[in-house]
Amino acid sequence: MAHVVNPDLVQDLKAFGARDIEACFNCGTCTAICPLSKDGVVFPRRIIRYVQTGMEHRLLCSLEPWLCYYCGECSETCPRNAQPGELMMAARRYLTAAYDWTGLGRRLYLDVRVELGAILGLAALVVALFVLLGGPMTTELTPEGGVQLNTFAPAHVIELLDWAVGGVLAVLLLSNVWRMHRWIVGGETGLKVPLGAYARGLSTLLIHFFTQKQWLGCTPGLTRITTTRWFKHFCIFAGYVTMFVLIVMFLRWFQTDAVHPVWHPQRWVGYMATGGLLYGVSNALIGRWRRREELHKHSHPSDWIFLVLLWLTTVTGILVHIFRIHGLPHATYITYVIHLAVLVPMLVIEVPFSKWAHLAYRPVAIYLQQVVQQARAAQAANPSPQPQPA
Amino acid sequence: MSRSSAQPDSGPASPRIGVYVCQCGGNISDVVDTATVAKTAALIPGVALSKVHAFMCSEPGQAMIAEDIRNEHLNRVVVASCSPFLHELTFRTAVHRGGLNPYLYEHVNIREQVSWAHHGDPAGATVKAIRLVAAAVHRLRHVEPLEEIRLPNHRRALVIGGGIAGMKAAGDLAGKGLDVVLVEQSATLGGRVNELSTLFPAEESAAPLVRRLNDDLQAHPRVVVLTETVVKAVSGFMGNYDVMVGPAPAAAGAASGADPQEGRHLTVGTIIVATGYDYYRPAEGEYGFQRHPQVIPMPEFITLLARASGETLEWQGRPVRRLGFMHCVGSRQIEGVHPPQPDGRVNDYCSRVCCTTALHQALAAKRRFPRMAVFDFHQDIRTYGRGHEDYYLRASQAGIMFFRFHGDDPPVVEPGSNGTPIQVRLKDWLTWGEEVVAPLDLLVLAVGMTPRDNRGLVSLLKLPVGADRFLQEVHPKLRPVETAVNGILLAGTAQAPMAIDETLASASAAAAKAAVLLAHDEVHLEPFKARVDPEKCVGCGVCFAQCAYDGALVREEGQREGAPITRAKVNPGLCVGCGACVAVCPTRAIDLQGWTLNQFEAMVDGLLSAPQPVAATNSNPVSDGRTH
Ligand SMILES: Cc1cc2nc3c(=O)[nH]c(=O)nc-3n(C[C@H](O)[C@H](O)[C@H](O)COP(=O)(O)OP(=O)(O)OC[C@H]3O[C@@H](n4cnc5c(N)ncnc54)[C@H](O)[C@@H]3O)c2cc1C
Ligand code: SF4
Ligand code: SF4
Repeated sequence: MAHVVNPDLVQDLKAFGARDIEACFNCGTCTAICPLSKDGVVFPRRIIRYVQTGMEHRLLCSLEPWLCYYCGECSETCPRNAQPGELMMAARRYLTAAYDWTGLGRRLYLDVRVELGAILGLAALVVALFVLLGGPMTTELTPEGGVQLNTFAPAHVIELLDWAVGGVLAVLLLSNVWRMHRWIVGGETGLKVPLGAYARGLSTLLIHFFTQKQWLGCTPGLTRITTTRWFKHFCIFAGYVTMFVLIVMFLRWFQTDAVHPVWHPQRWVGYMATGGLLYGVSNALIGRWRRREELHKHSHPSDWIFLVLLWLTTVTGILVHIFRIHGLPHATYITYVIHLAVLVPMLVIEVPFSKWAHLAYRPVAIYLQQVVQQARAAQAANPSPQPQPA
Repeated sequence: MSRSSAQPDSGPASPRIGVYVCQCGGNISDVVDTATVAKTAALIPGVALSKVHAFMCSEPGQAMIAEDIRNEHLNRVVVASCSPFLHELTFRTAVHRGGLNPYLYEHVNIREQVSWAHHGDPAGATVKAIRLVAAAVHRLRHVEPLEEIRLPNHRRALVIGGGIAGMKAAGDLAGKGLDVVLVEQSATLGGRVNELSTLFPAEESAAPLVRRLNDDLQAHPRVVVLTETVVKAVSGFMGNYDVMVGPAPAAAGAASGADPQEGRHLTVGTIIVATGYDYYRPAEGEYGFQRHPQVIPMPEFITLLARASGETLEWQGRPVRRLGFMHCVGSRQIEGVHPPQPDGRVNDYCSRVCCTTALHQALAAKRRFPRMAVFDFHQDIRTYGRGHEDYYLRASQAGIMFFRFHGDDPPVVEPGSNGTPIQVRLKDWLTWGEEVVAPLDLLVLAVGMTPRDNRGLVSLLKLPVGADRFLQEVHPKLRPVETAVNGILLAGTAQAPMAIDETLASASAAAAKAAVLLAHDEVHLEPFKARVDPEKCVGCGVCFAQCAYDGALVREEGQREGAPITRAKVNPGLCVGCGACVAVCPTRAIDLQGWTLNQFEAMVDGLLSAPQPVAATNSNPVSDGRTH
């Protein structure tokens, strides 16, 4: 079936942050220079062409945007200054919104007022919950001189709320991942994927989820790993995941009134995780502010909001800890409420609907790429018999 | 330059011939024993002296010839050296410096034809060189002094075609102080540019451009502009063309059907042909042309857009929301894919301006109607000219969508199935050869340039025509505005597709070349032309049938033994000296001046009677003037 050209998709992608992509004259320099593009997964020109000609379905079925880590080489070498790297970024936002079946993602991305409104609304809800249901704000200190935070916000209650919110978000995110999978595998006409291929790829999924090692392909011949963007990002990732595990699974152990000595794991694990987060997120904020590197040159409002919320969450979390061990009850309670008033909207908005979701989509894309490749190889080895004409 | 030659006695009775053998710095003497050649040549009857020199073409070599003519009273000279293409003129001039008629000289090529050709056989090469020298010496015994032919040069130019090329050429010539007649078949000057609106590059308007060229012409009293006029007949040759001009056919009919104006004779020295181009006219059905009213050629669109008013572009009462441009219509055609033109060939050339025109118009349309979707279907984008690429960049930036097809699989135009009257279906090579469909409200065919059908003029002027049917120059690099017909020059798109800047540059080049041809009061021609001996001509006329150059032979009434006779006579201006007539004349009445049959016979005698080589005493000494 011939594809009917649709000139409007470009405008849609521009709303998601694409820049001068019309200027692209399809020379392919960007694809040639891209260190991650290779046989079978060729980008970014392929994605550009889908956008230019309005091949919306093809775009939805593409996993290439998730394989790009925005080193920016393409944008730097593009003879037409069409900013192919930024188009890949816009395509990731576009896909994140498209995978989301509720349609909220699209609205949040395309209208910053909606996004800010949602954040403020959720923050107000959190504050209201504390005002209505919060425990007594006792000024009595523990024997070690710490604040009795669990009287105001008992860990077992917060934990229940954690699970409730987490459960809903997980369902939303997983259903989006399912849609993503349907498009990517379904986009390959007539491809039958054996279940074994799904099972065999699982280790890939986990490895890439935890390491993002694909990104290291962006900087071939690197000398010091700590100077790479991968490292800075990994600090955010590791800090984030550690804190997530501590809060969702070990809150009772983590949120204690007792002030443990410094060598206690509760303290140093927390310090390392928040330290990593603070370093990584501050770095990203400064980068976006300075706009020196290609990947930081253009920021969509959603990029700022995500980083600012994450940074505020980290800083307020650290403050809660400081106030608590120094026996400042009111400061602790207020900061704790603020902490949650930032954390909750960040999770609710970002996990299923916005930038956070890439934590899932990127490794899933690499995983599906492998699954599809294996399925293709299997099909090539045993071609199904073609129906013979009578 | 005066060529009057008060030379010493040149009668064949007492020849004193000087023979000079060049070593060419070893190029010749490494193979040919030049000393032996010189020594042996001295034995040939009529040779007064023979010498060897390392470089005859050097100033001392040339001076040696001139001195020997004076001191040794030489009356003929032979130089055996390189190809006459290189140095025949050099030595003719040296001979003239010595006070001798320059045509009492013979050039023998013993480099390309001897030392280089026979480098494996020095002895044989030496014998051959001696024979060639002997042939030259024998011929020289029969030569007579000749004079260059001088004909009056009519210092006036005719420019045919009053497009911008013709206007510019005429204006430039007048600026150089020469008289010009400009003939234009239509009622106005400016040609096709009159049909354009805004021009690429630099976005100036067409009308003021033509007006300025016209003002230049009006400012010169030396220019005569004849509109509604064409060339009816041409005779003569460079410097002496007799041209009859008369009313253009359509104009004659319109003016007064009964009394077609009398032709008017002009005598001109040179003619510039600036007859321009035609738009390619698509065949019925080519890209849907004439099948779908929504398919129109570029010139029509240019007018449509220039006249558009209002918020939307309309075509036949319908708004144009989706506009397409098809490149290469009538250009870059491929045999077997495109139907041939009436002459059986396809237009395989690139028309060069249509890419930029398409982008220029697409961009203009998009700017004028920003909500319109604009599509461009091309094989390549060839925005070759200065400033042209900008249109491509800006067209892309403005969101014009580009699709690329292969020449051997051109797009198809079909009725629309998505709510538009037509659609284009193609395999898009920017999308890995996928089939795409672009629904359109209007498709513009970027038609190329074709040569104007000017058959009459081509045969009147005997203009050379290339395989692409455009008029052809002598050499695309070295002689880009001259035709093979002496004195006839080309300007503008009559020669090949060009944009305006190139058209005007070529017009100025043609004017400059014409000015060179018109620089003197006389034209000088080499004397090697046929000559009829009226005593021997019996008026049989067989020579006329052989001559390929119209007007080179003319009939002349006369008397022979009391009876009237029609003799042949040569018009030296048109004779090229090919000798075809000489070969057929039963009475040997025609001969070629400078290359007579007698001389050829003498050369054969010389070849056969050449003396055997006489070994030089010491092998190959470089002569510094000693006589052998
Ligand atoms: C669609 C289109 C758009 C273009 N747009 C641009 C542009 O924007 N910018 C640009 O730089 N170039 C443009 N060009 C190119 C431009 O049109 C030419 O470079 C220019 O017109 C060439 O001028 P010319 O004098 O050689 O030929 P012409 O314009 O064809 O003039 C030839 C003249 O000779 C006359 N003539 C022909 N035969 C005879 C005869 N036998 N006797 C007497 N008179 C005769 C004709 O009547 C005519 O007046 C465009 C071309 C096309 C096809
Ligand atoms: S984005 Fe730039 S480099 Fe890539 S194909 Fe387009 S023009 Fe070429
Ligand atoms: S200039 Fe462009 S449209 Fe015209 S023939 Fe050449 S390639 Fe085709």
